Amino acid sequence: MARKRRRSSFTAGELNLTAMIDVAFQLLSFFLISAHPVDVLTNLDVFRPQPDVISAPPPVPPKIIRVTVFADGFTINDRAVDSRGLLKFLSQLADLDKTQTVLIQCLNESPHGKLIELLDVCAKLKLTNLSVVSSGGA
Amino acid sequence: MREKREEEALNGNLTAMIDVVFQLIIFFVCTVNMQDKAIDDRIKLAMAPNGAVSNVKDPYEVKIDVSDTGAISVSRTILPASMLTTILTKARADAKRSGREVPVLIRADARVKHEAVKKVMDACTAAGIWKIKFTALKEKA
Repeated sequence: MARKRRRSSFTAGELNLTAMIDVAFQLLSFFLISAHPVDVLTNLDVFRPQPDVISAPPPVPPKIIRVTVFADGFTINDRAVDSRGLLKFLSQLADLDKTQTVLIQCLNESPHGKLIELLDVCAKLKLTNLSVVSSGGA
Repeated sequence: MREKREEEALNGNLTAMIDVVFQLIIFFVCTVNMQDKAIDDRIKLAMAPNGAVSNVKDPYEVKIDVSDTGAISVSRTILPASMLTTILTKARADAKRSGREVPVLIRADARVKHEAVKKVMDACTAAGIWKIKFTALKEKA
């Protein structure tokens, strides 16, 4: 009995998709494995004190909150506070006037994380007028 | 005849799956972020959950990294403070001709002493840049 010739499943001119599907799955696997969750970052704005332009002194002296950053804590207007005290006293001052200038003085030995902690508290209390000055060691 | 119908049915079912696979690939290609390669991920940023998220990326922004050892680098290239001042001065002069400012972003490790960050800030001051931003972590992934 003559065998029926099996027609090839792909005739001339048709595209063999098998290899393309394999490549597509490999690409997909690569991107799935290399994708990773990204940290959400924030930018905290500060100003550096600019050289004074010659001008008449303001009739009302600006309100300034002086905060000093030490290696192990902070002082607000020469009053020593810890992290909880920092939030408490700054919130009291912010309740009076949020446009006050916060003059931040960092000692050389203080870790940068302390400065960020202070800037974070200022951001929470909407104190936006921040100026960072640096001083020498303790 | 029956085999031909089965083959046609199999080929037809694959089409939708290929479409879905290509859409997934396009999604991941579009969401991959190549700029992260220039960021030094050894720097452990301090947490600041109350800071505002900035979604606007300024292409003229200068990102300065300060590692936990106090090394100052820009795009993973370690620079001395004097060279940083020169670069910032040049960047500011170029930006001033176009009528814009140079935003400076400092990414400092939380453990580094302020002395190292002070060098960067002094370099910015010497270059005439008065507005600085500090990068912190709002949410950890």
